[in-house]
Amino acid sequence: MLNSLNAEHLHLLLNHFPTVGYAVGVGLFFVALFVKSKELKQASLVIFIVMALLSLPTYLSGNAAHFALKDQAQLSESMVQAHQDAALLGLIFMELTGLLAWFELWRVRYISHPLNWSLPAVVIFSLVTFGLMARAANIGGELRHPEIGAPADATVWPQTALLAKAFVIGNPWVWPAAEIFHFIGLTMIFGTVLLVNLRLLGIISHVSFASVYRLLPWGIAGFIINFISGMLFFVAVPDQYTQNSGFARKMVLMVLAALTMIYPTVFEKVSDLKAEDTAPVQNRVIAGASIALWVAVIFFGRYLPYIGSE
Amino acid sequence: MLSLLSQLEQSGLATWIHESGSLWGYPLILFLHTVGFGTLVGLNAAIDLRLLGFGGGIPLKSFDNTFRMMWGGFALNAVTGSLLFIADATKHATNPTFYVKLTFVAAGLFTLTRIRKNVFRASLADDASIVRQGKILGATSLGCWLIVITAARLMAYIAEYINA
Repeated sequence: MLNSLNAEHLHLLLNHFPTVGYAVGVGLFFVALFVKSKELKQASLVIFIVMALLSLPTYLSGNAAHFALKDQAQLSESMVQAHQDAALLGLIFMELTGLLAWFELWRVRYISHPLNWSLPAVVIFSLVTFGLMARAANIGGELRHPEIGAPADATVWPQTALLAKAFVIGNPWVWPAAEIFHFIGLTMIFGTVLLVNLRLLGIISHVSFASVYRLLPWGIAGFIINFISGMLFFVAVPDQYTQNSGFARKMVLMVLAALTMIYPTVFEKVSDLKAEDTAPVQNRVIAGASIALWVAVIFFGRYLPYIGSE
Repeated sequence: MLSLLSQLEQSGLATWIHESGSLWGYPLILFLHTVGFGTLVGLNAAIDLRLLGFGGGIPLKSFDNTFRMMWGGFALNAVTGSLLFIADATKHATNPTFYVKLTFVAAGLFTLTRIRKNVFRASLADDASIVRQGKILGATSLGCWLIVITAARLMAYIAEYINA
């Protein structure tokens, strides 16, 4: 699926989201805090969430592009490594920012009591992410445009991707431990997905939507566990994944599946469903699709070793 | 005993699952086993969390209709698990991790029946003794499923070690 030039083009297209798109989000966020606009703040938090989701295929397609281009002489391996190291650290902070933004939106809508740490956490992480993404984009730009007189060699600190790979490959217990955590995260996500969507479908009906959606942080915690354990697999043997057609499908489906769990945080109509209320038909359709998408994510995850490379 | 196992392993069905190489054989059974597991343990873990006091706002009756689904997940896994077992009968039967897994599946299911009987069917009132019992059962249940997941993941690694 991600063969030769496609992977490079895809990466060049996607890389505008965590950089340009995210910068717009950060700008809006600080304007919102300055003018104290609740709506603008919520809009910028939604941008953070969407950019965090789009950063996953951006990072993964970068590795696919590297695989496709690795025989080209004008591409400096040390520059590529520096770009990857910078990008992985940026990705980690981008995901944390997105998850914190999701948590903050959820908190404002679904639990009334204030927390004094969640908004400052978004402020700090969004700024750190912005700096790290700018650094990754800068090195990436030099890779792409040698004519601007960029150096042929570079290293960044810390060498995140290189160290992570060495950590997984050098310690035989890491892979099985990551597998155990990946299945623990799976149950946390899937349990939350089932309960939330069964309420929308009406199979659970005696309670309000808001009371079931209070389980969301448990699902978000599962997300964090599976992001970390999944990335440990990926950084150890990236080619095994980027060259597997099932993996690209799993990632696309996962982004869509995540959106089906995020939208009730964003739209007020869903959060207002009281006990015994029937959800509107479009929400029931999305709920059914959500369960199907998550099952499909499990399907491609399980089939990865059997589909293999194309 | 061992000859019975190898007979099972050499039956037509077991041979097909193991050796056909069909994408709709062994991988499909493994996938369905994961969906059944996610349904049973995912929902059960959410109940355990609620019993332990996390997200106190979630009413217990949210979970009333989930017991049928959890038993459905278990039924799917009893079938798919049996198929996975016969495909590698001698390998699994000589793997101690497999028995650890089965034991704690049984313990987890037993705990689930206790949760239903002692917490859900008991008045549903927030009686202090029921809350305390719910906490003990919730923690026991989470512990059982954690052991099941760990044993299940390690089965292949331990088998490799034993047969090396």
